[in-house]
Amino acid sequence: MNTTNDNNFEQCLKCSVCTVYCPVLEVNPLYPGPKQAGPDGERLRLKGAAFYDEALKYCLNCKRCEVACPSGVKIGDIIQLAKIKYSKKKPGLRENMLANTDFMGSLATKMAPVVNLSVGFKPVKMVMDSLFKIDAHRTFPSYASQTFEKWFRKNAASRQDEFPHHVTFFHGCYINYNYPQLGKDMVKVLNALGYGVHLMENEKCCGVALMSNGLIDKAKRQAEGNVENIRRSVKVDRREVIGASSTCIFTMRDEYPHILGVDNADVRDSINLATRFIYRLLDEGRVQLRFKKDYKAAIAYHTPCHMEKLGWSIYSTSLLRMIPGVKLTVLESHCCGIGGTYGFKKENYATSQAIGAPLFRQIETSGVDFVSTDCETCKWQIEMSTSLKVKHPISVLAEALDVEATFRLNSR
Amino acid sequence: MEKCIYFYFEIKQQNVAAEKYCPIKWQYLDCDKYKQTEMKPIRKENEFDVIIVGGGITGVGTARDCALRGLKALLLERFDFATGATGRNHGLLHSGARYAVTDEESATECIRENMILRRVARHCVEEHDGLFISLPEDDINYQTTFVEACRKAGIRADVIDPRQARIMEPSVNPALIGAVRVPDGSVDPFRLSTANVIDAREHGAVVKTYSEVVSLIRDGQRIIGVTVFNHYTHQTEEFYAPLTINAGGIWGHGIAAKVGIRVDMFPAKGSLLIFGHRVNNMVLNRCRKPANADILVPGDTVCVIGTTSSRVPFEECDHLSVTADEVDLLLSEGMKLAPELATTRILRAYAGVRPLVAADNDPSGRNISRGIVLMDHATRDGVEGFATITGGKLMTYRLMAEWATDLACRKLGVDKKCTTMTEPLPGSREEEVKTTARHHDMKPHVEASAFYRHGERAAKIDARNDLDTSLVCECEGVTVGEINYAVNELHVHSLVDLRKRTRLGMGTCQAEMCACRAAGIMGEALGCGHKAQDDLRSFLNERWKGVEPVAWGDTLRESEYSQWVYNAVCGME
Amino acid sequence: MKFDTIIIGGGLSGLTCALRLQAGGRRCAVISAGQSALHFSSGSFDLLGLRADRSEIESPLDEVKHLREMHPYHKLGDKLPHYAAQAESLLAQWGIRVKGDARKNHFRYTPMGGLRPTWLTFSELAVADDSNACPGERVLVANFPGFLDFNTSFITDALCSRGAKCEVCLLDMDSVNRLRVSSTEMRAANIAKVFESEEALGELIAKINQMADGYDCVVLPAVFGFSDAGLATRIEEGVRTGVAFLPAMPPSVAGIRTQKQLRTEFERMGGVFIPGDEVVRADIEDGEVKKIYTRNHGEMGFSASNYVLATGHFMSGGLKADAQGVYEPVFGSDVYYLADRGEWFDKDFFRPQAYSTFGVETDAHCKVLFGARASKNLYAAGSVLCGADAMHELCGGGVSLLTALYVADEILK
Repeated sequence: MNTTNDNNFEQCLKCSVCTVYCPVLEVNPLYPGPKQAGPDGERLRLKGAAFYDEALKYCLNCKRCEVACPSGVKIGDIIQLAKIKYSKKKPGLRENMLANTDFMGSLATKMAPVVNLSVGFKPVKMVMDSLFKIDAHRTFPSYASQTFEKWFRKNAASRQDEFPHHVTFFHGCYINYNYPQLGKDMVKVLNALGYGVHLMENEKCCGVALMSNGLIDKAKRQAEGNVENIRRSVKVDRREVIGASSTCIFTMRDEYPHILGVDNADVRDSINLATRFIYRLLDEGRVQLRFKKDYKAAIAYHTPCHMEKLGWSIYSTSLLRMIPGVKLTVLESHCCGIGGTYGFKKENYATSQAIGAPLFRQIETSGVDFVSTDCETCKWQIEMSTSLKVKHPISVLAEALDVEATFRLNSR
Repeated sequence: MEKCIYFYFEIKQQNVAAEKYCPIKWQYLDCDKYKQTEMKPIRKENEFDVIIVGGGITGVGTARDCALRGLKALLLERFDFATGATGRNHGLLHSGARYAVTDEESATECIRENMILRRVARHCVEEHDGLFISLPEDDINYQTTFVEACRKAGIRADVIDPRQARIMEPSVNPALIGAVRVPDGSVDPFRLSTANVIDAREHGAVVKTYSEVVSLIRDGQRIIGVTVFNHYTHQTEEFYAPLTINAGGIWGHGIAAKVGIRVDMFPAKGSLLIFGHRVNNMVLNRCRKPANADILVPGDTVCVIGTTSSRVPFEECDHLSVTADEVDLLLSEGMKLAPELATTRILRAYAGVRPLVAADNDPSGRNISRGIVLMDHATRDGVEGFATITGGKLMTYRLMAEWATDLACRKLGVDKKCTTMTEPLPGSREEEVKTTARHHDMKPHVEASAFYRHGERAAKIDARNDLDTSLVCECEGVTVGEINYAVNELHVHSLVDLRKRTRLGMGTCQAEMCACRAAGIMGEALGCGHKAQDDLRSFLNERWKGVEPVAWGDTLRESEYSQWVYNAVCGME
Repeated sequence: MKFDTIIIGGGLSGLTCALRLQAGGRRCAVISAGQSALHFSSGSFDLLGLRADRSEIESPLDEVKHLREMHPYHKLGDKLPHYAAQAESLLAQWGIRVKGDARKNHFRYTPMGGLRPTWLTFSELAVADDSNACPGERVLVANFPGFLDFNTSFITDALCSRGAKCEVCLLDMDSVNRLRVSSTEMRAANIAKVFESEEALGELIAKINQMADGYDCVVLPAVFGFSDAGLATRIEEGVRTGVAFLPAMPPSVAGIRTQKQLRTEFERMGGVFIPGDEVVRADIEDGEVKKIYTRNHGEMGFSASNYVLATGHFMSGGLKADAQGVYEPVFGSDVYYLADRGEWFDKDFFRPQAYSTFGVETDAHCKVLFGARASKNLYAAGSVLCGADAMHELCGGGVSLLTALYVADEILK
């Protein structure tokens, strides 16, 4: 569905509520604000391209305007589509570097020690800062020396058919190249629940970074490929597709049809976030959990913007609350400022940190052991900007579960 | 000072002929007042060569033409420019195709004027062409008749494959079976009127709005002037001229009647609907005999469907309202042109009266010629010094002005050729705004909106600091600077006037917040918050008048929000 | 997901009802489709301000009996004063500071400088005892350059007409001027965010003191206290003369803060607030709502013993109209409206409009009607109810608060 053709922008009452909740506007007055950039601007842009404002690039696509809008205007989608349609700025080398997470990842993993060392090395950072306009304050997430896929094939794949139930796991670039441990945790938890885990054939990056860096054609090709493979998984193999990253899942469910025009209507409901998937199994009484007696943790949950938009943080927080030894604080929902690759760009660094500041203050004063969240880029930002570590709810589950006992419960 | 002297020479040169007729010396009088009067002759301030009654497009066009030909012209308008039929139509830049089959003369005039306006009124015109579409229920054979008639009238008409038509204009009804492309476009009548006024004034014409002619001054069988009541000062004034031109449109009937002259007008009401945004980019017409609601015209940020047609009594001309039946008819017919209209927000409904000259007893008014009627009442009725220019249409206003001015020149013994077919209007003279007074970080849509509305005259809009570029009307991109320019230079007395000069309050929300903001600025400009509040009240009522007939869906939500803000929060009554 | 009660609508009425139920030991969820009309608050909650003849009401509780038969207040009967008092004490308990008393209206200032009778006003805003009052004799009306939603010419005009001597001044501050770089964003909420910073607040107080000599009161737009109502008190303490905060045009800073406070309080009490979602369909059997489904949660529906419809009037989407009629979009419950579209409106923008009284029909217990039969477990509260004209009776806040408390009691019974 195209937001222009369904005239969605006309539902706007000009009430300006969206501007109250835009995290960018609050810190960067160069951004025209969601109302102007979205529905107001859309109407003017129908007159001609001269009415397009390149300052729309400051939108970090958090969609908080959409959550706040009392009129159901898809403000964020309107802005993304306008950027695609009208922006004359062509993606450069930097955009390509930041956007092609899977290509960069596959290169970097092969040379992980060198890359990790060099991107953390001051002169290299300065070159990246001045040449590529990637801010020197940023620490690139380090690359793993062995990809998740490789680990999985070697260590887990052969056992998966033995389980009574099955899912397809969309691991995404982050787990594959930067943080295979989360993938391993996922396999551990799902196996304990009696679910065999299978990788998706020809998994491609969900494309969120391609989209935000203006590489739309490539994003669309990858989206089409992914939807095709998801379809095979759902329709032929009868396996739901689940992922750990709220951003990947949000992108494949909603941005594919809304922004890229890739139709996923027949399989959209079978693309699910891991915590929601598990919650539903519990809710329907199909699985049970057993936790370790001695697990203790004070955790603060941060709601990523795309979780706010999906409305699904309740599943992650409910799961965490089920762990007897966990004391959970849900942080006031606030953008962390990273916006995927947005915050890596030199011109956005100050904005990015200013947006996140209230969240960082909340975290520092929360007195918890660590932060938990479903989004990998939020994790980078929070770890770069606060003194605390961040763990995915699935990793927390993996730590807290009595795996043996849980498995016994669920294999009866 | 230098500017004023320069002006003096310019005017002097143009007044060679005028001086021959009326050998008076021109002299610079008051530099500070040059904005209002520019030059004043040493003759009584209330004496002119020609008085034009009516500030519709015909009147302002005639005032401009007279001024360009060196006549000292006075333009009198009882309310504001473009209040009547001028501002109450589709804003269609007719190619003439619509009349080609039934009225070749009108069609020929249209296409000629169409091409002229594209040159001289560029900033008022959108050149997007139009499609005449045949739907399955239409007779496709009519298309052949139509194309032949167009070509005969000199209108380019290309038959387009329906599939091609759908690519050219994606909003078109996909069921179409035929399409013809013609050089239709759209024209903003408010902008066109304003540009004519500016040019008239800059060539020495005196322009007075809210000045209602209450009587014509008679000296025997000769009209020598008019008595005028000013609605703002509540004073009565007299003005004299050897010739008075009645350009009152449908109200011209009443003006002529003041001296017992009968001009038989045919008040044909036409209702239209404005939609929230541009659904189409090309004009959509039905390729059939002209009927109800068969033209959808994109213009600026909106599009307009119309019209209905019904005869109304003269008394109704000042109090037109659109009925529910008319709204329903416009909608159902409009959807046949562009099905998307069914899900598009309707902003408002409005109606105008076509100033047709009655020829027979046709109840619909559709078969009356749109032809121009110029009446010299000396020859027609034995009354000297009085003429009426009427009939015609927005498209042929320039030609009407030319005819009327030709008559004036003949009567006053001035030998000066018309130049309005080649002389661009102010705003259409340059390709871009030439100014250095721009704020470093002006938003593109604000800058583009100002240029769209004022052409190169946007240079006069202050944009030197953040305050000037603050947005008042967010829907249409109207800044504080633009409002100040309009208030200072474009005869703005009220928010309704301001709206017509700038598009303030013409967007999606129909002046929800901008009304109050603009009223504040007007209040400061007028130095009276109280008057500004009264004005705000009438502006909101004027907006509501058009919204109320179509207030359902999002339009009702918006209205409730506006009424909540002004009635409950602001406590206005 | 299962709850005791699910409230649809997260505005004043929905959250009030939810808070009351949560305090009564019920597990509640509030489903909210975007931010609420509290964002457009006048700065006050009205109980009953004007009679049908537009005259001002002094004692609202005495006037309820004159309201039209279908007015929601009549459902509360003689318990209305009880609920009004309860609302006053609950708001205080929830940390929402207001002033006023149901027994006697006071006057709130409008953004035009006028005065309107009202019940409760947010603590920082100026109020008056009669409709001819002024905040001072020699008044300095201060505004930020380019803040067009605070209309100083109207305010000075109004205050002068009531006998004050007024002058206008501009508070030229870089921290606020910075907002104007974005030509659209000079709005109350954005200014309020600037003053979350200590430096800006200090600079403001110093600026005002520089200009306040010779005046007994400085009028400021009420754009302070985005997250803390105490900010206004600090300005009052810092400024040498009296200070009066007058509301600007919406959005209302106090309203936004109140919305946030209500939600935070609800979540603190263990309630589940679901933002940015909307109910798309419901399983209803024989007038009993079994389960509801939302856009975000798809087939994973929500079920509860009771449901409350607090979705607001047309503006908030609680009622929808098309060219044919008016309907309630979530459950399709019975709606009062006039069949002839021509009768919905008055030609005068400022006169009472018939559509204002359209709304959902309920029985005496505020149970929603389906085909004239009361639902077993679906209640309605707030402005979605038919019968009130919030704009011209000045009763919007009261209807929202009081019917919400009434419905909560009905459910707790």
